[in-house]
Amino acid sequence: MNIKITYNWVLDYLDTDATPDEMQKYLSLSGPSIERIEKVRNDYVFDVEITSNRIDTASVIGIAQETQAILPMFGKSARLKFNPIKEYNFKKYYLTHDREIDNKKLNIVIKDKFLCPRFTAIVFENVKIAPSPKFISERLIACGIKSINNVVDISNFLMLSLGQPVHVFDYDQIKGATMIMRESKKGEKIVTLDEKEVTLPGGDIVIEDGSDRLIDLCGIMGGLNSAINDNTKNVVLFVQTYDKVKIRKTTMTTGVRTVAATFFEKGLDPERVEPTLVYGVELLEKFAQGKVASKLYDIYPKKQKEKSLVMSYELFDKKVGVKIDRKIINNILTNLGFGVRVAPNKGLTLQEGRTLQITIPSFRTNDINIPEDIVEEVARIYGYHNIPSILQPIVYVNQPKEMEDIFTFQNKIKLLLKHLGLNEVINYSMVSKQMIEKSGLNIKDHLRLSNSISTDIEFLRISLLPSLEKNIKENKGRQEVLQLFEIGKIYLKRVSPVKDSPYKESPCEEVYRIGIATNTDYSDLKGIIEAIYKELNIEQLLIPEINEKDGIFLTEIDFQTLIDYCQLVPKYKPLHPYAIIKLDKTFEIQPNTTYAVVRQRAFQSKLLKKMEVITLYQNKLTLRFYYSSSSRNITEEEAKSELYKVRP
Amino acid sequence: MDSKKYETEINGVKSLEKLNELEIKYLGRNGLVNDLLSKIKEIPNDQKKEYGQKVNALKRSINQLIQTKKLELQNKKSAVYFDKTLPGKIYPKGSLHIISNAIEEITKIYEKIGFIRVSYPEVDWEYGAFESLNMPSNHPARDDVETSFIDAPAHPKFGKMVLTPHTSNGQNREMRRVKTPPIRMINISKCYRPNWDATHTPMFHQFEGLCVDHGITIANLKGTLDYFAEKYFGKGTKTRLRPHHFQFTEPSFEVDVTCTVCKGSSDVNGEKCKVCKSGWLELGGTGMVHPNVLKEGGINSGEFSGWAFGFGIERVIMMKYGLEDIRNYYSGDIRFLEQF
Repeated sequence: MNIKITYNWVLDYLDTDATPDEMQKYLSLSGPSIERIEKVRNDYVFDVEITSNRIDTASVIGIAQETQAILPMFGKSARLKFNPIKEYNFKKYYLTHDREIDNKKLNIVIKDKFLCPRFTAIVFENVKIAPSPKFISERLIACGIKSINNVVDISNFLMLSLGQPVHVFDYDQIKGATMIMRESKKGEKIVTLDEKEVTLPGGDIVIEDGSDRLIDLCGIMGGLNSAINDNTKNVVLFVQTYDKVKIRKTTMTTGVRTVAATFFEKGLDPERVEPTLVYGVELLEKFAQGKVASKLYDIYPKKQKEKSLVMSYELFDKKVGVKIDRKIINNILTNLGFGVRVAPNKGLTLQEGRTLQITIPSFRTNDINIPEDIVEEVARIYGYHNIPSILQPIVYVNQPKEMEDIFTFQNKIKLLLKHLGLNEVINYSMVSKQMIEKSGLNIKDHLRLSNSISTDIEFLRISLLPSLEKNIKENKGRQEVLQLFEIGKIYLKRVSPVKDSPYKESPCEEVYRIGIATNTDYSDLKGIIEAIYKELNIEQLLIPEINEKDGIFLTEIDFQTLIDYCQLVPKYKPLHPYAIIKLDKTFEIQPNTTYAVVRQRAFQSKLLKKMEVITLYQNKLTLRFYYSSSSRNITEEEAKSELYKVRP
Repeated sequence: MDSKKYETEINGVKSLEKLNELEIKYLGRNGLVNDLLSKIKEIPNDQKKEYGQKVNALKRSINQLIQTKKLELQNKKSAVYFDKTLPGKIYPKGSLHIISNAIEEITKIYEKIGFIRVSYPEVDWEYGAFESLNMPSNHPARDDVETSFIDAPAHPKFGKMVLTPHTSNGQNREMRRVKTPPIRMINISKCYRPNWDATHTPMFHQFEGLCVDHGITIANLKGTLDYFAEKYFGKGTKTRLRPHHFQFTEPSFEVDVTCTVCKGSSDVNGEKCKVCKSGWLELGGTGMVHPNVLKEGGINSGEFSGWAFGFGIERVIMMKYGLEDIRNYYSGDIRFLEQF
């Protein structure tokens, strides 16, 4: 996902001497990638790519925190001057559970505590709905968010500032001031803020009010029935974290992909809820004249525990490939918000300590799990450009013969066919229903894609020929002679049940084939096949079937069969000094006297070494026969008598 | 010898036969030139060298005259003019697909540093494409990889049947095959994602590198990337790593190489380079193999470490040769194919 924030907004929290361009350059090298900068009025909008593990950086404070760690490594100053996460807390703002003011009560029921790790809400009265102050509306618009009114804008402003989506309800529209958080039933319906009706798949987190109406599709979008409008007087500020898996399931199955959902589905920090609510109170009081009119509702059954990790300094050297100064390591981690304690183990002093204990800030709880995660943090801030470039030692690894053969023979055949003048094509492995039917193949034998984006590529091919035939047709008129080939896999359904190990076999049988198609004639294609056989010294293999269709000649050869029959070096025939007798003879070709029949008969003679076609005129076939013996000179008479046996 | 004499004699010749006779007369074994050479015995010692040189010069000049005349007569022989500027006999040329060429080139580059090419399935279970790569189901990271599914019963343990969206499904298979490192793998295969527009085809090719051994570091990954970039894109090409996130690597990077057009300066004759804008072009994703992936492949992550990358072949071809519209690759259009 990408978010937009502005340079000046970051400066609200951070002191730095870096220009927007410098920030872009250095952050992109060591942290979040700032893909674009756009100047808007006297500010600069950063378009930042947020990777799915770092949802904590999808906010102004998140980027400020990163900047604080990154810039000093490039000789730029950067220091958080106001850290809202620390400064905005319930205590400081006198927001405590036992507040006296409690005019506007909320009756809250949470059916299952796992739905919502932390639930907070607070009610404001006498809110004045009005346009936002300029600094809010201008920043939101610059960051691509519509400005609606002060209350709604503040909720969006909070999300971009601190990375925690919030919702605002019209308190008076919540019937019975009751909020029941529960899982939805299958088929329940809610009309969301965008005035669309969503039918729920069931198991989604929703809120029902006192009159059985759904008023919120939690974490995704609020209900239209309880939305803020121009007449809203009393407002509920609603800040939660939700079960990320549930949110993701709902947003994926309903297709309602909101910005809030892209945050919640990644799992948010429940600790961030507190500063967000406090900051929200400050903004609503200041810019919407709201007065806090309820106690603070904060349902946080299982406070997030502080996570920590113990690791050795040596792991950095071992994984990075260069020794990084221990002090630099400690500084980097501290600037990123980690707590670092060097363990003085094994009789070493604190400075010499070999292991360090790292406490993980709550906003990194989800993405820091193993020491390698810490290695990444240190290495990237240290700077990948500062790591040397060293090729690993070259070692011998055995390549399995069957894999080597596939590649060696493919190359051999590809080059041969190319030199014979053929053009190699690569077609999609998927074909259309029409292509299958036209080729006389059975749809049922094909594996089908369940989410194909086009009917042209709906089925996995079980033959290379349908596509090759199409290639020849589509190239009509572009070139007179077309001779195409493809070497690729076909995908066959497995008949036997699948094995229990995913490594022993793949889900379908993948078989390499060679397909050849020409628009020339039968003997051309047959000659090509014979050339392959000759190249591979294949002697005892039948020519595969050659199909003709509308002047297109097609054939397909199983690749493994070629490998099996191939001889690297043909059988050597010793040279001898004895005479070779050449004899020509003309045959009349008939169904029972074909070339193959003649050949078969002729080679019954042990003296026949070779046989060639000289001419074919109508059905008159002239052949040349080469007779000789490797142990003596034979006479012409002998040869003639051998040939005589080959009469029709 | 009278120079005029042999000149007029040779120039006056009208047939090849007569010219042959003259050649024998002058240059034959018992010819006039050899005659002169044999007379060297009679020349006083101090003049022998000069004499020899003169005779040899004479021999050369006669030979040249004869050869020139020979060509002249040969050309005259055929009545029709022979145009030597005509093209020679045409031999069939044919073509290999540009992807085949790139696969060969890439395989050879890695072969030289001990990487073996392997072949693994294009149709796999979700387990092979995701779970074995530290991407559990329902994980948002799966959004980054759009996947083509196959309409077939799911495996009770390994999930749905998919067309591999990346060559990384070869990682675990290679670990299981080799069992104990070293591993030096290059896996080149077709991959599939449901995308079809000017810059995406639903089928494409990736090459995946995997190196697992004792003490493999980020520095080794950088070494390998620099080696590849120089060999494939040309001397002086540089690489850089930027932080990124992939579930199957930790740390994860994106690799850029210096733009092949502006050589990293982002400046082409005083104007901003139109190809890269910043001097760098993105090559693809890489990182240090995540311990969970090693574990899934049956390798002790305490003892061994490794790096992996997966790059698009269409992409490196585009970067190297500027072949922009990749849809032509799989259209079967002969006008495209025959060019390579």
